[in-house]
Amino acid sequence: MKLYEFEAADVLRAQGIPFPEYTVAATPAEARRAATKIGLPVVIKAQVLAGGRGLAGGVQTAETLDEVEKTAGRMLGSRVKGLPVECLVVAGRVAVAKEIYLGITVDGYLGMPVAILSTAGGVSIEEIAAKSPELITSRPVSIAAGLTLPEAEQIVREAALTGNEARAIAGNLYSLYRAFRQNDALLAEINPLARTPQGDYIALDARVELDDSALYRHPEFQNKYQERISNLLEKKGRDIGVTYVDLEGEISIIASGAGLGMATMDIISQKLRPANFLETGGAISAELLYQVMGLVMQKQNLKGLFINLYGGINPIHEGAKGIVRYLEEHPTPIPIVARALGNRQEETWEILKSGGITVVPKVATEKAVAELVRLLEASA
Amino acid sequence: MSILLHKGTRVLVQGITGRVGRAQARWMLDYGTNIVAGVTPGKGGEEVEGVPVFNTVAEAVSERGAEASVFFIPAPAVKAAATETIDAGIRLIVVVTEHLPVHDAMEVRAYAREHGATLLGPTSPGIITPGESKMGIMPGNMFRPGRIGVISRSGTLAYEICADLAAAGMGQSTAVGMGADPVVFTGLPELLGLFDNDPDTDLVVIVGEVGGTQEEHAARFIPEHMSKPVVAYIAGHSAPKGKRMGHAGAIVQGSMGTAESKARALREAGVQVARYPLDVVALVNKVLRE
Repeated sequence: MKLYEFEAADVLRAQGIPFPEYTVAATPAEARRAATKIGLPVVIKAQVLAGGRGLAGGVQTAETLDEVEKTAGRMLGSRVKGLPVECLVVAGRVAVAKEIYLGITVDGYLGMPVAILSTAGGVSIEEIAAKSPELITSRPVSIAAGLTLPEAEQIVREAALTGNEARAIAGNLYSLYRAFRQNDALLAEINPLARTPQGDYIALDARVELDDSALYRHPEFQNKYQERISNLLEKKGRDIGVTYVDLEGEISIIASGAGLGMATMDIISQKLRPANFLETGGAISAELLYQVMGLVMQKQNLKGLFINLYGGINPIHEGAKGIVRYLEEHPTPIPIVARALGNRQEETWEILKSGGITVVPKVATEKAVAELVRLLEASA
Repeated sequence: MSILLHKGTRVLVQGITGRVGRAQARWMLDYGTNIVAGVTPGKGGEEVEGVPVFNTVAEAVSERGAEASVFFIPAPAVKAAATETIDAGIRLIVVVTEHLPVHDAMEVRAYAREHGATLLGPTSPGIITPGESKMGIMPGNMFRPGRIGVISRSGTLAYEICADLAAAGMGQSTAVGMGADPVVFTGLPELLGLFDNDPDTDLVVIVGEVGGTQEEHAARFIPEHMSKPVVAYIAGHSAPKGKRMGHAGAIVQGSMGTAESKARALREAGVQVARYPLDVVALVNKVLRE
């Protein structure tokens, strides 16, 4: 779950990382009030879950209160990087003498957190890595011991920073790691950490991504997560406990596993266009597949449905009952082809056939998809 | 031979009294797995499918000689259970549990390494040495004994490809589900190394998917360390960017982790890469004939 800038800043501030004073505003009048309180000039920042918003016009400076209101009015309701701007951050403007990048991320391959520092802050770490990788210092962190202050100082010294400056940056890196750990983050980033002409360090932007699997430990974000899914069908998928990814085609896919679902989608994409990717996970029941059918059939302009099930952890014979019950209550003219293998496969085939589904037993997915193509061509 | 799991390996089932643990214990017993004990805290003294249940792993080890364990326990309990199991001396653990917090996975991984334990998962479908034993949720009827090693990030795709291979008369020495979370306990290169040292494996099939860098690391490992041929299939060529495709680790971020980039890296390492699952069969046949 990606956090908005203001949420990320709240999380980092709680660990003592300094930010300029900021307020969230959802209307031009609120922006004006915020600027009055903070003091001019201010920076107005669109809250969208995308990087690179500065270049896309999502960050503007305002010198007067009228300008604040006008800029806020223009930004709210507009789109930045294709995403609708629903609220803004109004923050005090800070003079910048130097920009540092600080980040903690998870190296999936090492299975360890990695602390990253660059003296070329202010642009994305991907861009720094592409243009001047020599300006990036990184080091894996022992998850058991955590990032200690001496280690943070060492990383900073490796980047050829010294003295008070090194101490201030190391302190922020140490705090960033604590925020990363305490919030179960996959990414915690300050970019830039700015040095003011007075020599103070202050964070001007923050990015935090939390681990969806750990949200149960962070109830304050768990509810927000649900609200944040904008696609209605994807949201409904989440509600019933499956992964639904909305696509642009006409053939719906129901698969009982993520890998199988992706392979099915690849195979279908050879000749047809998938309407969705749906993966049930390992908790199939009759009720779940009844609801899954209700979900995929909501999609407009469906021309066919392909069901691919494996009985490993899943009782697919139970799932088949839910599919058939749905079809009895909501008959459909579109062709449905199902493939089901594994534990209790024969029983599953019989149930599916009783619902008028074309069952292709014991063949590869490619051959079962060919059967759907044949049915579609026959009905065209 | 085979890797990690053999006929007679004395298996413990943690969470055996739960709905899934109980059902899967039955399937494993039917397959021939030598399940010697179950553990559920507070349920010691019970029996499930004729298997004695203990309160602690230490008891299961001392009373029944358990040497490998499979977890059917909720995600919030995995970290403590893994520590307990490693402390009790067990050196092979299959974590079937889904949605383990990534920070817990990192902690468990570090602890396992420190103690020389091999863990598979999280979100592992398990490990099966066909005709001998299985730990996990893989349906036994999709596999048959043979000389091909299979390593898969996805459970269902491992079934698919092993069933395709089996239908063509090619069985498996061992099939391992490594899991598809952002952090897994044991990565592709290590598992490739185990198969390379297994005298009963002739060729290894990698079943990969979008997201992460496991396949890219395998591509670096293979030319330097593998003496046996490798065939790969990568799922998710049609996966849209920025969407998690069911597995927590299956996400294309920018140009990173795409099926194309993984396939390219593996090809450059001399691996035959299939575009669709069924193509694996033809490639394996071709490589074995060469």
